[in-house]
Amino acid sequence: MNLVVTLQGVGGFFGRMERTHPLLPWLLAIVALLPLPLILSGLFNDYYVYLANRICIFIMLSVGLNIVKGFCGQVTVGHVGLYAIGAVTAAILSTNFGFSFWMTLPAAIFIAGLAGVVVGVPSFRLEGAYLALATLGLGESVRIMISVTPYLGSSTGLGGIPAPSAFGFTFDNFTRYYYLVMPIALVGIYLSFAILRSATGRAFQAIREDTIAAAAAGINVRKYKLLAFVISAMYAGCAGAMFAHMRPGYIHHNNFTIIEMVTLLLMIVLGGIGHVWGGVIGAIIVTIIYDQTKDFYFYQPLLFGSSMVLLVIFMPQGIGGLIDRYIVTQRFIDARREAGDGTS
Amino acid sequence: MKMFSRGLVSTALIAGVLVVHTSAVAGTIRIGATMRMISENGQKYGQMVADEFDLINKNGGINGNTIELSLLNDECKSDKGVANANKFIHEQKVHLIIGSTCSSVSLPIVDVTAQARVPQIIPHSTNAKITQKGSAWVFRVPVSGRYYAGVNAKYTGENIGTKIAYICAADAASQNDCDAMQDQMRRQFNAEPAYVAQVQEKEVDFRTHMLKIKSANVDGIMIAALAETMSRALLQSYEAGIGKSVRRIGSSSASNAPVPKIAGDAVLGVFYTAAYAAADKRPIAQLFNQMVRDKYGIHAPDHDFSQAYDLVRIVEIALHRANLNLSDGSLAADRTAIRDAIASVDGYRGLASGPISFCAAPTPQCRDGNKTPVLIHYTKGGEEFETEVLARVPMPINFGLE
Amino acid sequence: MEALLGFLIFGVTIGVVYGIVALGISLIYTGLDIVHFAHGEIYMFGAFLGLVFAHQYNVPYWLAILCAMIVTGLLGIVIERVFYRRLTRAGGGYTVAGMGMIICGFGMSVVLQNIAFLIWGADAEPFPVNFGMPYQIGEIFLPKSYVATAVAALVLMGGLHVFLKKTKIGLAVRAVAQNKDIAFLMGINVPLMISLIFGVACAIAAAAGVLIGPMQSVQVEMGYLMLMKAFAAAVVGGFGSLPGAILGGLLVGIFENLGAAYISGSHKDIYAFLLLILVLMFRPQGLFGVEAKVKA
Repeated sequence: MNLVVTLQGVGGFFGRMERTHPLLPWLLAIVALLPLPLILSGLFNDYYVYLANRICIFIMLSVGLNIVKGFCGQVTVGHVGLYAIGAVTAAILSTNFGFSFWMTLPAAIFIAGLAGVVVGVPSFRLEGAYLALATLGLGESVRIMISVTPYLGSSTGLGGIPAPSAFGFTFDNFTRYYYLVMPIALVGIYLSFAILRSATGRAFQAIREDTIAAAAAGINVRKYKLLAFVISAMYAGCAGAMFAHMRPGYIHHNNFTIIEMVTLLLMIVLGGIGHVWGGVIGAIIVTIIYDQTKDFYFYQPLLFGSSMVLLVIFMPQGIGGLIDRYIVTQRFIDARREAGDGTS
Repeated sequence: MKMFSRGLVSTALIAGVLVVHTSAVAGTIRIGATMRMISENGQKYGQMVADEFDLINKNGGINGNTIELSLLNDECKSDKGVANANKFIHEQKVHLIIGSTCSSVSLPIVDVTAQARVPQIIPHSTNAKITQKGSAWVFRVPVSGRYYAGVNAKYTGENIGTKIAYICAADAASQNDCDAMQDQMRRQFNAEPAYVAQVQEKEVDFRTHMLKIKSANVDGIMIAALAETMSRALLQSYEAGIGKSVRRIGSSSASNAPVPKIAGDAVLGVFYTAAYAAADKRPIAQLFNQMVRDKYGIHAPDHDFSQAYDLVRIVEIALHRANLNLSDGSLAADRTAIRDAIASVDGYRGLASGPISFCAAPTPQCRDGNKTPVLIHYTKGGEEFETEVLARVPMPINFGLE
Repeated sequence: MEALLGFLIFGVTIGVVYGIVALGISLIYTGLDIVHFAHGEIYMFGAFLGLVFAHQYNVPYWLAILCAMIVTGLLGIVIERVFYRRLTRAGGGYTVAGMGMIICGFGMSVVLQNIAFLIWGADAEPFPVNFGMPYQIGEIFLPKSYVATAVAALVLMGGLHVFLKKTKIGLAVRAVAQNKDIAFLMGINVPLMISLIFGVACAIAAAAGVLIGPMQSVQVEMGYLMLMKAFAAAVVGGFGSLPGAILGGLLVGIFENLGAAYISGSHKDIYAFLLLILVLMFRPQGLFGVEAKVKA
């Protein structure tokens, strides 16, 4: 109870911050997250900094997936395919053409965005399960293409992808790489907020709630569906580039299989589909639990699979929904108490 | 700004999930092994490595120190393998890493161990590139793919013919075997491949390829794939009506027990090169076969068993030689000492058909320990399969590097 | 010409198996309004159960198929009753923005695969069945197992047709597929019929698993690729249409084999997906024009 009150206090503080300037809380968040590697390696060890990097990449992926899935309500299961496209683009441009990270990142985002158009077009005519089938096929086709094409890495994978560098500073260990991926992930989260609050975000939600009503209200359904797919694909492309350039700079087609897709699904289901923080919460929790249960590798799929099934059945709104309900209820109680105080 | 405060609640929740790990005790040598545990015999290889280290501990350990092995599964996926390696290095502060089964996992781990300066010894991966990266911290117990290809190509060209069809599965070891074989056929006999098919790692239907190969009228078919994929291809080659006169050439995974078990009689006459033959007549090999049969219920151990066993023995020798402090402050020094001790292993004779020798230079010549492939063919299929050794071929040390 | 005939034979033999699995997927779609993403694992379970019956209990092959069908059908009914029913009860299974059932299916497939691994291990198991010498037509060998597969597919297809069109329970099943509320008002036990539909679909998948065992051996990971191909088959034939499923399976099998033979063998698995995506984009109702009601 105290926690909630404290957090609401903190929330109120940030709320005032935000009224001063909309970007202020985000800058504060970056500052607050800056010493994290020091804390993690001090309290635990460098491995947790590595995990923090992985979490940042997964946050990009799941936040992107949440935009198309949660905000816009389009069922896509081909997200790892886009992630693979981003990673392979970055890998090929940097190893074969010598582009730096600052060139390969936009290129990966751009190419993945183009691929997002391809994934998005079927959504014009297909809904629900049909769309899931189409995107599943596309995602798997991407992986098979990579696995049989020597230029794209084939079975040996693409290695030797250089670490990013800027002004003579190379992001070549976990702590340094953290200062690259953490701000990118925060920008990603911020943009997903910005999108949700904009007219575009409202159009997405209208399409999710009722496509026909949205069309009747004058929303260009096709345009916004496609936009949702392209935005989420760009997130995946960005995550792919971040993954490819991370030490040891090696990608292989079996990093992008259906199992990875299922893990991503679990992340957003656990965090809460359509909840603004859903992807973030899910990425953090799933990555940590996956790591902590590494010793029980025989039962890990059972744990993750059954939690997916049970979550969908018993807690379809995920943790995000739970927190929402708790805080909203608490606010309601507070409001009533205040009102009661006023009358007595 | 309610969203922001909600986010903070969740971060606060997560902080509770992190488990604090106790720091390691001095006097133990920590070894981390990352292997493909959920597959074929992977679990049993891992179990044997763990059992052998247990046995060493029971017999008094290494110079009074005990070995602590931690075994993780990497599912043959490079990102998981790299995560395991990082966990070993930074969290468990291991002195030595064993891994991995799959070449596509070993390849990136080589970079990780080189950067963190931790010795790595490889039990099963054969891809030639692993030792060509120039890392001073990597050692390979198995025979490199470059040697296998030379022997296979020579035997094929001289005894079977030069018109060969290739079926290459998309895993790093098989791909390497396939490419190297084609390259060697070109170099030794000036022969271009008659047909090349790239298939998925776990392909199930090869019949179309087989029919095309049948109409190409070849002398032999090279099937480079992991055990189960290979056995399906062998079976289906007969279904498509390719007769016995066309010889089947296997990649090194042909030695794995599932191949004769699944393929049955289709395995007859298949020849391949490996590091170990269960048909070996030496007493040490007979004892080993018996041990594996009794303990792990496998009719005849394949070379992945023997390589894992040889690896444990080499590690044991090296650890005995290394001058270790095993205090918290001496981690880096101990890691270097273990590396140098492994590099000093010279002329180890174990289950492998030839001596295994390492040396200090970070070159493939020094770090590909085993240089003696064995040429084997199957004389009986099924669960109680039998093999016959055709030849043991000590290879020139520079072979396949030019 | 002979080669072409050979490719066609391969395409047909694998195609009927795709078709059988697709039959189950279509049946579930018509009856329960859901797309079952764990059907590949049901198929895998069927194959393993068939193996257990044939090799541990030494049951003849055809009886092993039957036993595996019954046990897998019961397993399917349990899964549907315990898990899926909670989702489908809430209206077509689309709880969270229309994707609850899809995610649940993925989760279930992971769970089933892990359970199978814990029971039978990761090794591929051979499933040798002695059918005797292959038939020989000119230069082409036609293994008897291929013929057996095709015959079994026809029997299953025919049996399902008779069951749906000629029996009273079949009529009830069709009524439930049409409209559950009205079926309920007509005095049909709708929950029982839904269980029955799901069980029959799982039993059919098990038959496919046992049939393919001798051809491809049995392995824990065999389900996923089959699921994708069967989806392609179901979509090509018109989702929800039963004869369409078998025709779609044949088409996918022939298409991918001819593609592998004459375009590029390395991209064999992509052809089915290509067909799936093209059909979904340009003719979502399927190639054969069977008007299937498009549900969410």
